[in-house]
Amino acid sequence: MSAYITVATPMIDRDLLLQALADVGFGEGRIVVSDEPLPLVGYEGSQRAQVANVIVRRQYLSAASNDLGFISTPTGYRLIVSDYDRPRFGATWLVQVSERYRAREAERDARLRAEELERERERKRQLVEAQRSAIEAKAKRLGYSVTVERNQEKVRLVLVRRTY
Amino acid sequence: MSGRFINIARWISRSRANGPGERFVLWVQGCGLACEGCWNPDTWSFAPRQLLTPDQLLREVDRAGGIEGITLSGGEPFTQAEALVPFVESVRSRGLSVLVFTGFERAELRSRVASRLLALTDVLVAGRYDHTQVAKGLRLLGSQNQRIHFLSGRYGPEDLDDVARCEAHIAPDGVVTWTGFPGEFVNE
Ligand code: SF4
Repeated sequence: MSAYITVATPMIDRDLLLQALADVGFGEGRIVVSDEPLPLVGYEGSQRAQVANVIVRRQYLSAASNDLGFISTPTGYRLIVSDYDRPRFGATWLVQVSERYRAREAERDARLRAEELERERERKRQLVEAQRSAIEAKAKRLGYSVTVERNQEKVRLVLVRRTY
Repeated sequence: MSGRFINIARWISRSRANGPGERFVLWVQGCGLACEGCWNPDTWSFAPRQLLTPDQLLREVDRAGGIEGITLSGGEPFTQAEALVPFVESVRSRGLSVLVFTGFERAELRSRVASRLLALTDVLVAGRYDHTQVAKGLRLLGSQNQRIHFLSGRYGPEDLDDVARCEAHIAPDGVVTWTGFPGEFVNE
């Protein structure tokens, strides 16, 4: 029976970890995800003492592999890998996964920033529209004729009132 | 052209509330007349605010494009007449018209340099702002004591018919800047 070792990682976000694993060939269907840690299964089919929240089942690793898993901890996921699988799924592989994790993290952050910017833009658009409609309504009430002109995100209201 | 700086409070590239047609409007910085109820007290200080050379300012005018002329307001344009003359000369050489708001009476503008600026001016709106005589609905006038002088043959009273009473410019961040004479509108 192969012994397991654990390796601490700074990867803390489950979705990003799953995306990173998918990027290195372990996509949906090859992974078991559970909030409650589940036991890993050894190459001969028996449950091991080690548990993990994200598990790559052994049949997707190689013929004689044991399950490989990631257990969630407050400081990040820990990789749990058997001695047998360590040459292929040890430090070098973990570097690949971590790189993909960081790339996915950067993508997500850029997306969140873009969404935040868009929300901010929309908030300003609504503010400009609120100002426009308030001024326009008041101007009309006071008898002005109003021309509204837009130049990109700027708005100009020209208020004319003929007195003759 | 002189490289002398013009002290500027702000400008807008296009306005239809500051004279005939679309106009580039420049508010100069600095006015010693201290009219009670002045709409632009932030333009009183003579401390440098934005210093631009006539050439730099001219580039802004050129960028505005499709305008009928420029309007000088303030602050008090005639206290910076020396620096403004070369700028206004270049503006006129482009076929643009010139309208000037001043707090001085016409008769007070007797200096050599004031005369040079007057010679380049098509329309002069002159006189202190008197808050006891607010001009409601009079084109280009803040108070009834002020006078409009048509100094060149380019414009007459009928050219002011289409001048907007006021204009609201809403910036992308929602800040509203009024120009023209919004008092009646804003206060009612
Ligand atoms: S002259 Fe114009 S800028 Fe100067 S105080 Fe009077 S109203 Fe204000």
